[in-house]
Amino acid sequence: MSTSKSSRRTQPWRDTAIPRRPLLWLAAALLFTLPPMFGNLASWVPFLFLLALVLKFWMEPRGYRLRSTILKLILAAVTVGAIFLSYQTLTGIEPSVSLLAVLVSLKILEAHTAREFQVMVMMAWVLCLCGFLLSQDLAIGLCLFVAFALLIAALVQFHRGSSPGAFWLSLATTFKLLAQAAPLVVLLFLLFPRINTGFRLRIGDLRSAMTGFSDRLSPGGIAALANSTNIAFRAEFPDRRTGPVGPMYWRGLVMWHCEGMEWRGPYAPTSISDSSRRYPASDKTIRQRITIPPHGARWMFALDRPLGSPSGAMLARGNYLYSVQLIRKPRRYEVLSSTEPVRTELDAYERRQALQLPASISPAVRELAASFAADDSEPRQTVSRALQFFRNQGFRYSLTPGEYNKNDLEEFLFHRRTGFCEHYAASFATLMRLAGIPARVVVGYLGGEYNDLGGFFLVHQADTHAWCEVWIPENGWTRIDPTSVVAPGRASQDLSSFLAGRVASGEIATGRSAFFTGLVRLALVNQIRSIWEALNYQWDTRVMGFDADVQDVLLTSLGLTNKGPLPLIMQVLVVIVAVLIIYAGWMQLRTRPRTDRIQALYERFCRKLTRIGVQRDPWEGPSDFATRAAQSLPNESERVRRITETYIALRYAPGPGPNSIHRFAKEVDAFTAHR
Amino acid sequence: MFAHRIIPAHDCGVTDHVDAFVKQICEVIVGKNQAVKLAVACLLTRGHLLIEDIPGVGKTTLSQALARSLALAFQRIQFTSDLLPADILGNSIFDRDEQRFVFHRGPLFSQVVLIDEVNRATPKTQSALLEAMEENHISIDGVTYELPQPFFVVATQNPQTAVGTFPLPESQLDRFLIRIELGVPDRASERAMLLGMDRREMLKELKPVISPRTLIEIQDNVRKVHASAALLDYLQDLLDASRQRHTTGLSPRAGLALLHASQAWALMNGRDMVLPEDIQAIGIAVMGHRLGNDIEQLGQSGRTFADNLLHSVPVP
Repeated sequence: MSTSKSSRRTQPWRDTAIPRRPLLWLAAALLFTLPPMFGNLASWVPFLFLLALVLKFWMEPRGYRLRSTILKLILAAVTVGAIFLSYQTLTGIEPSVSLLAVLVSLKILEAHTAREFQVMVMMAWVLCLCGFLLSQDLAIGLCLFVAFALLIAALVQFHRGSSPGAFWLSLATTFKLLAQAAPLVVLLFLLFPRINTGFRLRIGDLRSAMTGFSDRLSPGGIAALANSTNIAFRAEFPDRRTGPVGPMYWRGLVMWHCEGMEWRGPYAPTSISDSSRRYPASDKTIRQRITIPPHGARWMFALDRPLGSPSGAMLARGNYLYSVQLIRKPRRYEVLSSTEPVRTELDAYERRQALQLPASISPAVRELAASFAADDSEPRQTVSRALQFFRNQGFRYSLTPGEYNKNDLEEFLFHRRTGFCEHYAASFATLMRLAGIPARVVVGYLGGEYNDLGGFFLVHQADTHAWCEVWIPENGWTRIDPTSVVAPGRASQDLSSFLAGRVASGEIATGRSAFFTGLVRLALVNQIRSIWEALNYQWDTRVMGFDADVQDVLLTSLGLTNKGPLPLIMQVLVVIVAVLIIYAGWMQLRTRPRTDRIQALYERFCRKLTRIGVQRDPWEGPSDFATRAAQSLPNESERVRRITETYIALRYAPGPGPNSIHRFAKEVDAFTAHR
Repeated sequence: MFAHRIIPAHDCGVTDHVDAFVKQICEVIVGKNQAVKLAVACLLTRGHLLIEDIPGVGKTTLSQALARSLALAFQRIQFTSDLLPADILGNSIFDRDEQRFVFHRGPLFSQVVLIDEVNRATPKTQSALLEAMEENHISIDGVTYELPQPFFVVATQNPQTAVGTFPLPESQLDRFLIRIELGVPDRASERAMLLGMDRREMLKELKPVISPRTLIEIQDNVRKVHASAALLDYLQDLLDASRQRHTTGLSPRAGLALLHASQAWALMNGRDMVLPEDIQAIGIAVMGHRLGNDIEQLGQSGRTFADNLLHSVPVP
C-alpha cells in the first residue's frame, strides 16, 4: 500500500533507472544460477554470463548502456550463431538453456529501467528452473535455492524502495515468505502426481565417464579411473549396521570373451534362473539396499554373489545383475547375495565359453601356462602355482604401468611385470584358460567407504576392480584375485585408503599433490565430507528417489487410491483446495479484530434486531442505532434503550464492573424482538 | 441527537451553564442550532473557529454573540490585502519621555478575536496569526508576550472562489479546530428574523452567561471526559482510512482535534464518556477543512470526503 502510494505521489514518474540495491540482490542471485551451467553447457556460456554481470556493474554508475538496436541485433545473432556452432543444433536442453543464458546476459547489458529489472527477475527464475534440468545434485539444488531466495529478496527490496534498514528487512521478509511457502511445497512434493511415462526429456548429459564401466576390459582402462572422485553407488545393509566380514567384492559384469590382455563381456547377456528363493536369509547371505546414480548403461551392482534379481533387472549368465532398461534416473533396489561360493553345474556351453582363447598367443606364454598345469595335477595345484608365479617373479602394482596392447601378454608377464588390477585379472584368466581351467574375468568394485552418519557404504569410481573366477569342480566358480597376491592389503580396504597407506610408506607415487593428500587426511575435512556424503545420500534416496512408485505407496497408505493420473490429479487438487481453505480460514481467524465478549453479545443483539428488519449499518453508533430501532419498534423501545445503555456503559464508560457484563448477557439472551 | 436522552445526563455541573449559553446565542442566530453548538464545542475545546460562508449570513453576529455572552474582551480585525503583521500583533514605538522603545499591543491581545475575512490578507499576515493561535503567545523583538486566557480566535472567510482572496495555507487551516458553514436560514427562521428585533440591538442587550472562570473550569473538564479503548479504536480506524483514501490524510494533530472536540461534544450532552456518535457529530466540522486539496479527486470537497468516511468506517 505504501509503495503504490509513494509512487503515485512522485508522479509524473519516469522509469529511467534501476535502483542500485535490488540490482545487487539480483546480481547475487544470478551468480548462484551459474554453477549448474559450468560443466553442463558449452564452457563459454557461463563466462559470457559472468562477463555481462561484471560489465553491468562497470557500466551502470557511468550511465553507459547498450542503446543501439543494430548493435543489439548483431550481438544476439552472433551469440545464437555461436551456440549453433557449439552444439550443431538449437534444439534440446543444453542449446536451449545456453540460448536463454546468453540472452539473459545481453538483457543484463541492455536493461536500464525498473520495468526491465522485473523482467530480469522473471528470467532469472526461469534460469533457476533450467538449472534443475541440467543437474539435480544436492549442491546444485542448494545453489538454486539460494538464487531463488535472493530473487525474492531483490523483488522485496525493489518494492520497498530505499527506506533505511530495508537491506536486512527485505531478507527477513524473504525468509518469512519462504517459511510460509514451505508447507505448500512439502505438500506438493508429496502429492503432486509423478508422471513416469509420456514425459521424455533427456536430462543431463550421460557421459560414459560417469561410470568406469564398459563391456570391454582393456589394459589401463581401470587405472585411468583411480583418481576419479565420482560416486559409483551407495549401499546399505538393512539387516546389520556394518558390512560383511572380509573384503567387499561388488560384482558388476562377467566377461567371457578373451583376447589376451583384453577381455569383453557379452553383447546381450542371457538370463539365468533366479536362485534366491532357494537361499533364505541366513548368516551366509546378506541383504543390501543399493542406490545407483544414473549412468546411462545397464550395469547394476551387488555383493559377490547375487542370488536373485530385483524387479526391472535380470540375473545374467555369470551371476551378475543386468538392468532391463537403461538407467537414466537414480535407481534403488534390494538384492540378496551369498557370501559363500554357490555350487552350480558347468554346462557344455559355458565350458566352451570359459575355455575360449584367441589364436595370437605367443609360445612363451603357452609354455608358462603348461608349466602351471604340469603333472596333470588337479586344478587347485595349477591355480596356486600360477599365483606363486605372480608372487615371486617381481610383479609390481602400479597406477601407471605404461601402455599395453591387447597382445602384449608376453611383454607383461616376462618383461615389464608392472600393472594394475585389470592387467593381473586379464592375464591370470588367460593363463588359466591356457592351462585348461575354465576361467572368466569379473569386473566390479572392491571396498567402499563407510559413512557413520548415514550408515551406508560409499563406493567410488576409483574403487573399480577386476578379478578372476575359475571353475574348480568341487567348489564351482571360485573367486581368485591375483591383485591381492601382488598388492596384499588392497582387498581389505578401499582404493584411496590403500593408496594413502602406500604413499605414506613411500612405495608408490600418486598423481595427487601432497597438499590434496594432506587435506584428505585431516580429520575435520573428513568429518565434513562424511556429513556431506550422508546428506547427499538422503537427498538422492529421499528426494530424488521419490518417484511414482514410492508416491503410490504413500498415497495408498493415506487411503488415496491411485487409478491413473487424472483421478490422482483431482484428489490432489481437492487436498490442495482443502488446505488452502483451512489456511484462509485460519488467517481470517487470526487477522479478525479481536472481539471481546461484550462486542460479541452486542453483535448478537444486533442480529436479533436484523431478523425483524432493523439492521445496523456498520458505521452506525450504538446510540444512533438505538434511536432508529426504537422509532421503528415502538413496542420494544424500552428494552432496546436499556440494552444499549448497558452496552454503552460497558464499552465506553470508565471502569465497568464484571457484574454488568453478566447482566448484559442476560438481557441480550432474554431479548426476543416482536414487531 | 438522541444520545443525551438515552443516557441519563450525568451532571458534570456544566450542562446548565452550557445549555443557557447555547440557548442565548440561538436566540440571536435563528435556526442554526447545530452550527452554534459546534461553535460552542470549539470554544470549550480551546480551539479556534473558522466560519466560511458568503457575506451576510451572520458570521460576524455569531462571533460577537459568543464574545458578549462570555464577558470576554472582544476585538475585531478586518483583514485586507494591505494589512501587515505589525497591524495585528503590535508595534514598538519610541517614547520620547522615557527614551526607549515601548511596545504597543495590537488588537490580537484580546480574548475573543474576530478576524473578519481572513483570506483577504496576504499570506504574510495570515502566518503572523500562527504562533498566537497555536502557542497562545506572541514573540516580537525577542520578547514573548503571553496572551490573556481564555483566548479564542473566530475567523470568517469567504469561499475560496471569491475574487481577491488568498487561500489559507494548509498549515494554517490545520490550526483551526472546527470549520463551520452557516448557510442561509430556512424559511421559517428567516421570517422570524425579519420580524424580530434588529440584531445589533439584540447583541447590545446580551448578558454574560458564563464567567471567564467558569469557562476555564469547563475547558479543564473537557479533557477529563473518558475515551475508552473501543472509542480510540474507532478514531484510529477513521485516521487510517483517511490516510489510505486521501493523498495526505489526517495528521496526528487532526486526530487530537477529533478526540478533544468529541470530548467537548460529549460534555455538552451531559456525558462523561465519548461515544462514536460524538465523533460523528463533530466529524465533518473537524475533518472537512483538513481534507481539502486532494490532487487525485479534484472537485471533491473535504466535507464530502469526511462525510463519506463517517459513513463507511465501521464502528468497531
